[in-house]
Amino acid sequence: MATIASNFNLREIDNTDDIPGRRAPLITGNQSYASVTDIVCRVAEDPQPMLWYILFGFSSLTAVMFLSLIGFLILKGVGIWGNMNPVFWAWPIVNFVFWVGIAHAGTLISAILFLFRQNWRTSINRAAEAMTIFAVICAGIYPGIHVGRAWLAFWLLPYPSLNLWMWPQFRSPLLWDVFAVGTYASVSLVFWYMGMIPDLATYRDRSKSPLRRMIYGLLCLGWTGSSRHWLRYEKAYTLLAAFAAPLVLSVHTVVSFDFAVSQVAGWHTTIFPPYFVAGAIFSGFAMVVTLMVPARSIYKLENLITLRHLDNMNKIILATGSLVGLAYATEFFMAWYSQNQYEYFTFFNRAFGPYWWAYWTMVTCNVISPQLFWFKKLRTSTFWMVVICIFVNIGMWFERFVITVTSLSRDFLPSSWGYFRPTMFDGLMFFGSFGVFLTLFLLFCRYLPTIAMSEVKGVMSAVSHAAHSKDGTHGQNH
Amino acid sequence: MSEHKPRKSIEKKMPKAFGWMAEYQDENNLLAAARKVRDSGYTKTDAFTPFPVHGIDEALGIKPTILPFIVLCAGFTGLATALLMQWWTNGFDYKYIISGKPFGITPASIPIAFELTVLFSAFTAFLGMIALNSLPKFSNPVFTNPRFDRATNDRFFLFVEATDKYYNRESVKELLGGTHPDSLDEVLEDTTPSTLPQPIILALLLLVVAGLIPGMIILNMRAGFSTAPRFHVFFDMDFQPKKKAQQQTTIFVDGRTMRPQVAGTIARGQLEEQDPFYLGYDPSKLTMSNDSPSVLFVSLQTPADGKPPIAVPPATKDEKTGGQPPATPVVPVLPWIVKLPIEANEDNMKVGKLKFETYCSACHGYGGYGDGLVHKRADALAQGYWLPPTSLHIDRVSKQPVGQIFNTITKGQGKMASYASSLTPKERWSIVLYVRALQRSRNANIDDVPVESRFLLDEDPKPVDPKPESTNSVEVTSK
Repeated sequence: MATIASNFNLREIDNTDDIPGRRAPLITGNQSYASVTDIVCRVAEDPQPMLWYILFGFSSLTAVMFLSLIGFLILKGVGIWGNMNPVFWAWPIVNFVFWVGIAHAGTLISAILFLFRQNWRTSINRAAEAMTIFAVICAGIYPGIHVGRAWLAFWLLPYPSLNLWMWPQFRSPLLWDVFAVGTYASVSLVFWYMGMIPDLATYRDRSKSPLRRMIYGLLCLGWTGSSRHWLRYEKAYTLLAAFAAPLVLSVHTVVSFDFAVSQVAGWHTTIFPPYFVAGAIFSGFAMVVTLMVPARSIYKLENLITLRHLDNMNKIILATGSLVGLAYATEFFMAWYSQNQYEYFTFFNRAFGPYWWAYWTMVTCNVISPQLFWFKKLRTSTFWMVVICIFVNIGMWFERFVITVTSLSRDFLPSSWGYFRPTMFDGLMFFGSFGVFLTLFLLFCRYLPTIAMSEVKGVMSAVSHAAHSKDGTHGQNH
Repeated sequence: MSEHKPRKSIEKKMPKAFGWMAEYQDENNLLAAARKVRDSGYTKTDAFTPFPVHGIDEALGIKPTILPFIVLCAGFTGLATALLMQWWTNGFDYKYIISGKPFGITPASIPIAFELTVLFSAFTAFLGMIALNSLPKFSNPVFTNPRFDRATNDRFFLFVEATDKYYNRESVKELLGGTHPDSLDEVLEDTTPSTLPQPIILALLLLVVAGLIPGMIILNMRAGFSTAPRFHVFFDMDFQPKKKAQQQTTIFVDGRTMRPQVAGTIARGQLEEQDPFYLGYDPSKLTMSNDSPSVLFVSLQTPADGKPPIAVPPATKDEKTGGQPPATPVVPVLPWIVKLPIEANEDNMKVGKLKFETYCSACHGYGGYGDGLVHKRADALAQGYWLPPTSLHIDRVSKQPVGQIFNTITKGQGKMASYASSLTPKERWSIVLYVRALQRSRNANIDDVPVESRFLLDEDPKPVDPKPESTNSVEVTSK
């Protein structure tokens, strides 16, 4: 078992090539079980690089700014935002849908790819699940503060109230949203935590300081790795994956119902659920790639999160990006084909009305930029994939902006038409949510297992059982 | 929680042995050893591995788990909860009508039914796994072996428990030793103290107690009573930058919040007020009159000139005319109309009876003697400030023209409030008609009864009852 550094050479093994008759290796660098443990645990055990402190200082300040602005908003009221008649669902809802969308990649990777036996998911699922949790936190903040009296946001829940003597309206998609996002957040949290228990036990057993040992010991609930425990654990994990897979698809479907069930032209369409789900996976994977590329390079995880993983994710981005483009085209086709003049006007207004700049930014970023992933050179270049993924995320934010704002600003009554202008607080609070997201992600990298070690080892073991690898690599890709 | 304690070997007494633990480098060696142990008949065995080794359940003879069935039950519970909750809250307990959507369980119930099914199942899968595995368990004898730290890293351990019915210390050692383990150790009792150190217990207790304080304060505030004003964390809409009636303001020179009518304008409903039907008197005759209440009345019709408006009843606060200071309520002498403007027929009488019983009888009583339930109750409570309602049969009232009675209902009188907002003018006139009938019934003689109906009086020997049922039949027939 050689050290990682001498083994690390990207040119040595290019696992992005598909050679017929030979499985592409899943992880590179002639890894053993111990070396995988070592690579992952070093992320939390070694002193953090200077870059971590710089990023953490910046992101935590941004997060504090965001929280202060929420306090200011509660003091002053939602009037500090640009929300004004007729656009009352402005940036807060755009940001909510944006973050919920990003939250879809984690559970998709964990659950759906697990059920499809996509073993390459094991290297990336943990960090992606963490992103899911943090993105849902960012998403959940916005409707909470958008309700106006944020301290009464708990009225959304059906609890027997002694003051209200009434119940929420269960026939409204907005309440479905509360249940969908709430279920998604809690189930994702359980899924994430359960996946971490064996790895937290590894952290516990490697800990030198008694305090660290106690904290990780508490977190892992005294996990021993008993085979009887593993048996129930694997069963529970499979069940959770089976529940989480339709849940992922349902959440953005329900979010799209917020729009589609209303009567507003441009919202009232049956294409919304699949179109939103495709967009959510698209933006979620883009965010995962954006964060994974720097993280794997900073923490020297290139042997576990290989170019092959990134290449696979980029292929999913290409596929979902094309789906989103098809959805845009379908909307326009239906606007023409239905011969409904209001529908036609709404879509003409989107592309050539006062918000044409937002529409064409969206099309450029979401439809054109992912098409560059047809080229393998770009798909396997870490620099270009980050650039394209950032464009995708910009585009997906604009997609929600275009849907929300253009439809509301010009509804059925021309006398009430308006033009939405954000205020400084809209911008700062959107920017601030990235601070919350990044702060949580940096803390996650520092204190929790970033890669599912036990799952990676399980995949390595499958290989050693079937056919001992001859080319110094472990794992296989289906 | 003792596995994080430094592992000192305490020699005071021989620690209890829990069994033998063998260590392997490779999962294939583990599987081979596990099969061998199983075939030797041991059942109280376990393996400890860094990842789930496939085939180990068969190699050790572990039975499948019942977890999926528990989760299935939880899923159905979630589904039933969601459907019952939606039916109960929106279809039964609080029927909220929105956009004509149907009540009860409809396709609109599907999303929440799905979400709660998933929520219940997922939490049961997780918590069920934890519970079936008897976790959390922080103190475990297997942790006493320092080599065991590698069970979560890269080593595989096989454990034969001392509680197995075939267990024999030497033979198990021999059996495991024959499977080529990297190490073979006896698992000993964890001799480190199993209780938490006292300072930690104390700190935890303090934390719990401190954590209860805010909840207790809130509970106490919710359950108790207080005469102090409400404590506002958030002001909601309790204080609004607006003025209410009768408040002062600095915006206008006259300091009044309520603005007088602009000169030359007519407010809604004001035209009607010039009609005797709505007033009870004839305003055209009034303007020609010179007595002080009439002058005052006319002044009320003109726009304000910066002086505070004079409240009704006009005669009680009479500054402009310099009239008598109101020691006793002075009823303005107005040109009351004496003839009912509505027809005295049975329909109107019925309306008048209904409205009288609804609005008037609570104080004035069904018979108009001023002995309504409110009066009786106040009398029973012996409330000193209670002013008994006027009997409608005293001379002062029975001599009033119909217009004046109408005016009293419309504007109120003394402690009696105005009923103009509750009753339409026609209904008020109907009540006047009914009151007139009541009054007449109380002062009736035999000549008032038609000859052909007099035999009815003989049939009922009882004296006239103040209850309206008995009086009314006489009234209506007499009219």
